[in-house]
Amino acid sequence: MEITREFYWNVGHGVTLPMYIFAGLTVAILIYGFVRRIRVYRLGKPLKRTDHLLLRFLRFVKRGLGQLRVMLVKAPGIPHAVMFWGILLLFIGTVLVLIQVDFTDPLFDIQFLKGAFYQAFSLILDLAGLSAILMLAGLAVRRYIYKPKGLVTTWEDYFIGASLTVILLLGFLAEGARMAITELDANPGLAVWSPVGLLAARLLSGLGEETIRQIHVIGWWTHFLLAMTLIASIPFTKLRHLLLTPTNYLFADLREKGAIETLNLEAQVDHFGAATVADLTWKDIYDADACTSCKRCQDRCPAWNTDKPLSPMKVVQQIGEVAFTKPTANLIETVTTDALWACTTCYACQEICPADIEHVNKILEMRRSLVLMQGEFPSAGAMTAVNNIEVNGNPFGMAFAGRADWAEGLDVQHMADGGQVDVLYFAGCYASFDKRNQSVARNFIKICNAAGVKVGILGKEEKCCGEPARKLGNEYLYQMMATENIERFKAYGVHHIVTTCPHCFNTLSRDYRDLGLEAEVEHYTTFLDRLVSEGKLVLKPQSLDLTYHDSCYIARYKGITEEPRHLLQAAGGQVREMERSKANTFCCGGGGGRVLTEENLGRRINVERVEMAVATGAPLLVSNCPFCLTMFEDGIKTGGAEGSLQVRDLAEIIAERL
Amino acid sequence: MKILVCIKQVPDMESRFRVNSAGTWYEEQDLAFRLNEYDEYAIEQAVRVKEGLGGAADITVLSIGPDRAVEAIKKGLAMGGDRGVHIKADQPHQMDAWQIASLIAAFARDKNFDLIFTGLQSQDRGSGQVGGMVAELLGFACVTTVVGFELNGAVAAIRREMEGGLRGVVRLALPLVVTCQLGLNTPRYPTLPNIMKAKQKELLTFQAADFPVGDSLVQTEKMYPPEKKGRGLVLEGDVNELADKLAAILKEKAPALR
Repeated sequence: MEITREFYWNVGHGVTLPMYIFAGLTVAILIYGFVRRIRVYRLGKPLKRTDHLLLRFLRFVKRGLGQLRVMLVKAPGIPHAVMFWGILLLFIGTVLVLIQVDFTDPLFDIQFLKGAFYQAFSLILDLAGLSAILMLAGLAVRRYIYKPKGLVTTWEDYFIGASLTVILLLGFLAEGARMAITELDANPGLAVWSPVGLLAARLLSGLGEETIRQIHVIGWWTHFLLAMTLIASIPFTKLRHLLLTPTNYLFADLREKGAIETLNLEAQVDHFGAATVADLTWKDIYDADACTSCKRCQDRCPAWNTDKPLSPMKVVQQIGEVAFTKPTANLIETVTTDALWACTTCYACQEICPADIEHVNKILEMRRSLVLMQGEFPSAGAMTAVNNIEVNGNPFGMAFAGRADWAEGLDVQHMADGGQVDVLYFAGCYASFDKRNQSVARNFIKICNAAGVKVGILGKEEKCCGEPARKLGNEYLYQMMATENIERFKAYGVHHIVTTCPHCFNTLSRDYRDLGLEAEVEHYTTFLDRLVSEGKLVLKPQSLDLTYHDSCYIARYKGITEEPRHLLQAAGGQVREMERSKANTFCCGGGGGRVLTEENLGRRINVERVEMAVATGAPLLVSNCPFCLTMFEDGIKTGGAEGSLQVRDLAEIIAERL
Repeated sequence: MKILVCIKQVPDMESRFRVNSAGTWYEEQDLAFRLNEYDEYAIEQAVRVKEGLGGAADITVLSIGPDRAVEAIKKGLAMGGDRGVHIKADQPHQMDAWQIASLIAAFARDKNFDLIFTGLQSQDRGSGQVGGMVAELLGFACVTTVVGFELNGAVAAIRREMEGGLRGVVRLALPLVVTCQLGLNTPRYPTLPNIMKAKQKELLTFQAADFPVGDSLVQTEKMYPPEKKGRGLVLEGDVNELADKLAAILKEKAPALR
């Protein structure tokens, strides 16, 4: 006997016409729904996201079909992936049946669902269906019984979860009914290839054939109609993520991580930054639709976790709500300025987002609108700092002429005095002026001297890199600072720049490229690590019990996590890791220009992080960033950790071991 | 309504000041320049008056100084001034308040200004005389040290700071010179479109010599940093002790607490 089954058994080939009419209707509704949504995406400004098509396609395959991003968080991620693959296989299986029964068989007399392939087909689809049901059950337990904090459940979740489960169960019911009549006794050898169907067949087998046939017809039609309903509902429910999340991988931002659009300030435009959805790009509205409300961003947001009114997820969704309900309304009024100013641009949201949504630049665009179009700042303090940067090139308002005072008595070359140097040290404002951070600059020079590296500085010709101003939305001031710094670099023929500040590092190495800087730019952690591995810098290790804080702009933005740890090991340090470390690090609270303004809402982020450091039991917290050092010195005092925890910069530890 | 705002570009007060070789002023090298703080209040108030009139006012921003003074004028235009007037003078510190006021008055005399705003004083010289002298030369009324300004038709209701922590309210008719004090308003941060527009706004340039003014009435004899007298006092002890010591010192030395 041929190993296969009779397709359209019991319902007959007469179902083909009504089936295709329903399917056609479903597709029509689906298209109608998406056309309506696409019209709204087009409210946004144009943005080209179709370059590097192969790269984009591979990303789509890996992240979409491969579910790699979803599985980053294992507990709900793996069940979701298994459910997705299960349903995907069932979908493919159904399509294969259609292809044979309605096309290849009647038209060309080709049947491929037979023999060993049919056995494998049966087994795989049965297991796929079973897995999907089990995963759905697991996910339901999580959502409705365990109820994770922050997970929002709406009617859509009930509708989608219940529909999927019922569709799968009805599939097995129809299969079981068919097998009870055609395979249970007649072809037991084939029946074992459909184990779940076999179980259903056994349960049904006590009923009479007529009843079983009726159950089959009802099961088959309900399964079909419910499936069509669910597909038709895709554009109108959260299910739209089924198409939009994977395609969002296709439209991902392929620029270097953290890239920000360098505005053309001379452009004749009505508006700089974003006050309405029309000021954003189509991708920003698309992102809102791709959001699955998984709240992973919110879980990791330092602002949300310290009771501030910012949830990156909400911001993304609010953009969608405004775009779809009142597209000309002021977006910032919905999002609120408090939420916008609370962002530290730590990038934790984007790092974890399973849908490749770009949260940070949306917030930045709205900040740009506030600052550039309304002259509005988070606080009077921030406005003063920005004015100070404009006048004296540093946020403290200190005399620019004193910018190199920290270097007095050290073996450094002032570029203005001429002479050759190996590297240019861009000290940045904090290491130049802030008493605590001057120690970092001085120790960095001592280390370079010990390694025989000749270091130059711009001294009073150096200006703020512009990063805090830019992250507060002041693109104008950022470009003013950047242009002047770049002019100086070029005038001195600088080819290699080292910074101790991760914010200067990110800005010079990435953002300045748009404005014409070509010199190599490096953070001191990788620079010193290389000197050690090349044997140019020899350390005398002394045992040290410590915990290491990965700064967001080094670990998350730049992926530098191992080099600083190598250095600490070479220095004799034993690192006790905090739970949130490396790319998953927790912000100090100082990013996004926040270091220049007060933190008046919720709990303090720096204290939160200091508590995590204290929890490791290590007496010493080592960081690599002037903002972190400043925030932690403060957090240790206000958080009552004085005496139990000390914070030092990596350069200070290394310099003691020369 | 025609409004004149007189501003000055001054060194940032955090700068490193060194006395120049003549010993009569400061060396300009290594100084960061900015708009005189009190003049920012003046510009802001002028712009608010204009906004209050639904835009029916014309604001001229005037500054006397070397080429760099144009930066300060641009800032004034970015904040909302309509045109700039730069009276070029390379060594404005060699002119006394009388000459500066005379220059301004010579420019303003035939322009029919209704209101003249300026800072209470400049942060570098701090004579505090220019506003009053301009009023005198033009025959305008003058209110100094202003911390509140309201315009109703041709009458201004003005709050001013007076000696001994007192405040006074005056009501008077235009034309009028007003010198502005901290607390009058919070100057706006210029928006990017306004910064860009400011670059296109009219800027009239004159030479100080274009306006005949008399000789200085005041000469600077000598400039020097104040001699160091005494030194800071560091209190020691526990919190209660510190508080008592501090209270005793304040009682003895600060008349306001008596």
